[in-house]
Amino acid sequence: MKRSLLLISMMLVLPVTLIGCATSGDLEKVQAEQKLIDAKAEQALQDAQAAKAAADAAKLRADETSARAEDAIKAAEERERIADEKAQKADAAFQRSMRK
Amino acid sequence: MKSVQEKAWSFPGHPEKEIERNEFTVAKGEDVIGRLAVIRLEKGDTLPDIARHFGLGINAISTANPGVDIWVPEAGESIMLPLSFILPDAPRKGIVVNLATMRLFQYKEDDKSLVVSTYPVGVGTKERPTPRGQMRVARKATRPTWHVPASIAEDHRKKGDPLPAEVPPGPQNPLGEYALYLSKSGYLIHGTNKPASIGLKATNGCMRLYPENVKKLYNDTPVNTPVVIVNQPYLIGQRDGVLYMEAHTPLEGSGTVEQEKVYAKLRNIEDKSARTLDWKKVKEVQTEARGIPVPIFEIRQGSEKEVPKPIKVEHPDKLYGKPEIPELRLDAWYVLAADVREEIDALRIAAIINHQGPQIPARVLSRNKGYRVIAGPFNDISEAKDAAKRLKIDLDIDGILIEPVQKG
Repeated sequence: MKRSLLLISMMLVLPVTLIGCATSGDLEKVQAEQKLIDAKAEQALQDAQAAKAAADAAKLRADETSARAEDAIKAAEERERIADEKAQKADAAFQRSMRK
Repeated sequence: MKSVQEKAWSFPGHPEKEIERNEFTVAKGEDVIGRLAVIRLEKGDTLPDIARHFGLGINAISTANPGVDIWVPEAGESIMLPLSFILPDAPRKGIVVNLATMRLFQYKEDDKSLVVSTYPVGVGTKERPTPRGQMRVARKATRPTWHVPASIAEDHRKKGDPLPAEVPPGPQNPLGEYALYLSKSGYLIHGTNKPASIGLKATNGCMRLYPENVKKLYNDTPVNTPVVIVNQPYLIGQRDGVLYMEAHTPLEGSGTVEQEKVYAKLRNIEDKSARTLDWKKVKEVQTEARGIPVPIFEIRQGSEKEVPKPIKVEHPDKLYGKPEIPELRLDAWYVLAADVREEIDALRIAAIINHQGPQIPARVLSRNKGYRVIAGPFNDISEAKDAAKRLKIDLDIDGILIEPVQKG
């Protein structure tokens, strides 16, 4: 009976000891890896944020440029319209002046 | 079959010095006369000056060159001279006037050939249109007196510019130097003191010609010559086995009827030839209404090489009839006609003033922040006041009198 109990006890203690040794070794490794990954993640996040910020800035610039271009087009169209209007007005006056 | 209506008017080779503009021989069975031409504009040109030199009306040159500024075109720009015409569908004798194209055709036949002289005309306004129909030259007169019709006298009175009952021959006489009185009472073919009005709907029903053209017409036209006045905005005719179409903007209210007439003629040609016409092309020509004969159909197949290309014409040293501006004088009176920021506006106003009839000389003076249009020189205050009055009445310009710098 005693021998059986000892055997059972040994069977229980040995794996536990073995498990305990494996966990502490791996933990350090995992922690180190986690740090690396975290650093990578941080870098990636920073990169992504930087990229987004750059993209946002570029979009803003593009929007501003587009708005300026639109304004310039509108201004040019307005100038053209005014010039056409002036030319048409002048021509209409000329045609009237050609009557007897 | 290549179109002659393409926009890129740059042609290799040396330009021609001269091109026929008024007198053409009509080959038997043919309806198209003349040649299209192109000319490169120079600084200071206006379309009315180019038009007059080449015997064209202002309507013809501006519709042939859409988008080109009439008064301030760009120097170096090539423009089309529409010096090819389809003869109106009317008997080829005497005088035929096509109101839609604003062109007069005078036929002269001898034993061998039929010759046609053609001139641009100014015609009646929408309110006072030129009458259509058959008439004849009832009498002729040089240096005619203008008996002012009551309606015109009333118009002028309303404008604050009362006219005498009669205007004697001279620069103020709108009939010019020659007149052909038509059998339809009150209607004349005459000259003008406003040459820039040729090709405009600007008369009270008469037909006016450039002074140089009316002189020739007067000398070539005996009393009793038949005169037919038609309205044909869509013309078709053939030359060298090719059918051409020439489209003009129809006079008010006549578009649909005239379109039907020309479509009927085209359908007839289609039936006779047993081939299908390019109706898309027909519609295109009609929509563009450039007043240029455009080939639309080969009546005789294989006529491709016979469609003539526009010829390049050399710019003359001096354009006939171009208004001249006298030198500035310190002892003269002037009228400040405009003070504007843009040079193009000043140039346009000056050109329009210069093309009044009789001419009011005007030039552009540049200054620090803009441009001034100065009319003159005038010999005395009375001349300057007259010019200022005309500027106000005719062009709604409020001119300011400028005294002489030095007393003469």
